[in-house]
Amino acid sequence: MNPVLVMHQVRGGYGDADILHGVSLTVNPKEIVVIVGPNGAGKSTAMKAVFGLVKIRDGAILFEGEEITGWKPDAIVRRGISYVPQVKNVFAEMTVHENLEMGAFLAKSVKAEAFERIYTLFPDLKAKRNALAGSLSGGQRQMVAMGRALMLNPRLLLLDEPTAGLSPKYMEQIFRICRDVRDTGVAILLVEQHAKQALAFCDRGYVLATGSNRHEGTGQELLNDPEIAQMFLGG
Amino acid sequence: MSGLELINFYVIPGLISGSIYALGAIGITLIFGILRYAHFAHGDMATLGAYVALGLVGSLALSPWVALPIAMAITALVAVVLDRVFYRHLETRPKILTVMASLGVALMLRSVVQVVWGVDPQVYSTGIVRAESYGGLMLRSRELITFATATGLVLFLMAFLRYTRWGKAMRAMSDNPELARLCGVNNEAVTRLTWVIAGALAAAAGFFLGINTELNTMMGWSALLAMFAAAILGGVGRVEGAVVGGLVIGLVEELSVLVLPSQYKMATAFVILILILLVRPQGIFKGKVL
Repeated sequence: MNPVLVMHQVRGGYGDADILHGVSLTVNPKEIVVIVGPNGAGKSTAMKAVFGLVKIRDGAILFEGEEITGWKPDAIVRRGISYVPQVKNVFAEMTVHENLEMGAFLAKSVKAEAFERIYTLFPDLKAKRNALAGSLSGGQRQMVAMGRALMLNPRLLLLDEPTAGLSPKYMEQIFRICRDVRDTGVAILLVEQHAKQALAFCDRGYVLATGSNRHEGTGQELLNDPEIAQMFLGG
Repeated sequence: MSGLELINFYVIPGLISGSIYALGAIGITLIFGILRYAHFAHGDMATLGAYVALGLVGSLALSPWVALPIAMAITALVAVVLDRVFYRHLETRPKILTVMASLGVALMLRSVVQVVWGVDPQVYSTGIVRAESYGGLMLRSRELITFATATGLVLFLMAFLRYTRWGKAMRAMSDNPELARLCGVNNEAVTRLTWVIAGALAAAAGFFLGINTELNTMMGWSALLAMFAAAILGGVGRVEGAVVGGLVIGLVEELSVLVLPSQYKMATAFVILILILLVRPQGIFKGKVL
């Protein structure tokens, strides 16, 4: 099976300083892959590199076999990758429905089925479709952000700390929705602070530290590794 | 003084100048919301629009009302070109540089108007227009048309922003520019569209100012403070706020004559501006805080 995403020895950062010193990772179809690691490990930067938001000085990024290194974000969206930033990830002064419409902006005309698909994944949003996104709770905003990103039928969804600041109840719900999304055929790459819970729910994980790969494996393997437990998970 | 006198001599002129301020303030608020800088050449852009209409009236013997839409289109084009030539390449620099550049553009536009049309006050058509009585309300037809056209333009713009794809893109860019770019919204196209709307509405404001009083080369610059006060009072980035702000400033200016010497009329906009910044800097409709 051909991988959806391959990052090969990527080196780069913002401005002149390198944050990533050779990061490699792979995402296969229908797979949830999580990146964990201590603060400043370059987790979010690695994800932003995929989406063309980081200056890449070395290495390559391939999406469905095609090299997308150095592409601009809108070209990457068109190619089939969507990205949900960690903060300011909704249009606060627009309604839930308009947020979804903006997600499909590149698609000139939007079919009603696209909205139905999102509202089926996020039933909470259907009732709130005419509410301003800024008036919603943190968990619901996250759903709006994910819904927006899914409007164009991406094959890969990038989520930057989707559960940051959410209650455990909403964290469970977001993870459950991630599985539902994966089951519709979308691969997911996400960055997580809640390492234990994230590794328990993902298919595979990567542990980054100071901008390079440290460990990789299935979620369970990583959870059982005593070194990782000590380093990142607090024993 | 009777109620009718109050309405005829203060409220109606207040609403007319308020509609004119609103047309200018909408452009200012859109530019501030989407491009994130104060555009000080806006008043002189209105002056230019008014004189372009005068030029059409004089050279082609058009009715002023036919000249208006043409002048709006020409000024919109000028606004797009000004952005291309003077503002575009400052995009990545601190915004204060663009603000200063707009001050220079203001002087330049005014000088062009003075060179082409001279510095003496002018009018679109000579002769006295009598007000007609509508059950005691004294209205001139030009006042009715000013109010109706301003209302129509505002409603059209609001519908455009609410229902069309590019209107939504403009709101998205004002709301969260980073995310709008992630959605694939083309920054340049939105900027161009913003200038088309701002330029056309500025020309309409200048035209109505000219047809209800007279044209002079300082007219736009003198109205700039009131337009900015209106935009900030309503809430920066809010079209409906600019409209309400414009009407409030227009009315307060006219009504201030009842209690203050009339030479303080201009100062009232300034007082409102200071008060709103002290008491509620986000404005009536909760716009962006400056």
